[in-house]
Amino acid sequence: MFPRGKKRDTKEEIIEQTILKKYNSYYRMAMSFVHNEADAADIVQEGAYKAIKNSDSLKYVEYVETWIYRIMMNEIYRRLDTKDIESINDESYAELEVEDTYENLDLKRALDSLSVKDKTVIQLKYFEGLKLDEIAYILEENLSTVKSRLYRGLKKLRCKMDGYRMKGDERNAR
Amino acid sequence: MQDNYYKILELYKEQYEKPVMDDKAVFEMKQRIEQGKEEKRSMSKKKTFKGWAIAASVVLAIVILPNISKTLAYTMGDIPILGEFFKVITFRNYKYEDERNVADVVVPEVTTGENADKTIAETGKKTADEINGEIRDIANKWIEEFKSNMEEEGYHNIKIDYEIITSTEDYFTLKLICFKAAGSGYEEHHFYTIDLKTGKKVELADLFKKDSDYKKIISENIKKQMREQMAADGSITYWLDDEEYPEWNFKEITDDTSFYINKDGDIVICFNEGYVAPAYMGTIEFIIPKDILVDIMD
Repeated sequence: MFPRGKKRDTKEEIIEQTILKKYNSYYRMAMSFVHNEADAADIVQEGAYKAIKNSDSLKYVEYVETWIYRIMMNEIYRRLDTKDIESINDESYAELEVEDTYENLDLKRALDSLSVKDKTVIQLKYFEGLKLDEIAYILEENLSTVKSRLYRGLKKLRCKMDGYRMKGDERNAR
Repeated sequence: MQDNYYKILELYKEQYEKPVMDDKAVFEMKQRIEQGKEEKRSMSKKKTFKGWAIAASVVLAIVILPNISKTLAYTMGDIPILGEFFKVITFRNYKYEDERNVADVVVPEVTTGENADKTIAETGKKTADEINGEIRDIANKWIEEFKSNMEEEGYHNIKIDYEIITSTEDYFTLKLICFKAAGSGYEEHHFYTIDLKTGKKVELADLFKKDSDYKKIISENIKKQMREQMAADGSITYWLDDEEYPEWNFKEITDDTSFYINKDGDIVICFNEGYVAPAYMGTIEFIIPKDILVDIMD
């Protein structure tokens, strides 16, 4: 007997398995930028399609997770560029019915005030638990650039939140 | 104080992690994954190389080119005389080079000389014209494509060259080698065989008795060779006996299938990249043993 069938396309399979395992983390990353379920789902679907179609260009299967993140992030950025996603400003936050604690809303607001890439670095590091060199690969940037994004971002967050905190205290005091 | 912010980040993480894709969106994503798979396959099958120009093209070109220059050295060495009637000369050169783009195109032309037999001379002339026309069309198409790709980003490299692979008493075969690299490398071959006794271009069917089932016999032999090769070497893949994508499986050779006759007089069946195997397998040739064809040969 001869062996059945052809050899499997392992890269494609690994990419597919990774997407099926991690799609919610791409989705929430997209949500944090586009603030809209339909757009976020569209980003993940488009990213998944591109990843599979270009699976031959994944050189090292060890990097499959960061490789897919890179595709997804590019998809998010592309969407932010082409479609004028309504950026949520301070005013619209006031209209949002939020059950969050003040801290949560403040942080969300503070994160949105960062540059898109600074925000990506902080979210990938603290919410997705990625290492800085992995983040550098995803953003196609130097490690040092990513580090300075992280420090700048955190500093700005602190500043912003101190500001909100003070305003919040004033509000509470009234 | 600092710790406080990390704590808030931690707290917000829960909030951040709340969104989940609904079933409909996940289903649509799976459909898109299948679409990606299909398009990837048809891409490598149809060999469209509007590809992703990546840095790897440079490496590829370096790896592949030495192989080609070997045949170049061979063909440039002398102009072969074919049955003292057909000759191959370089009809046209097209060269271009800048930092990112290299084209090195050699267009061969079959010419005919004197022949005592007028009919053969006339037929030979017609055959040569026909082959030359086809070769020029191919070369022009490749050059046009190269020119339009040059405006795009990345590296583009094409090379066209030829080789005389058979020059026996009976047959002569000209092989046109077309290579391009833009991200990934791609090579295709065209074969033109002339019967020196008649001056006619030889089609595969001409070699066999009328009504003989040569396509089936050759195809079955190719399948047998494919299976043997795959069993012997795990890195070899042909599209055969695949249940997942049965429409891709090699079934039978056609009138358009390329072939040539090698020095030993064996028929060699040739497939361009992506026809019977994934593109990374390159161009593929199968030598069909004489003993299975002897009964049906004309």
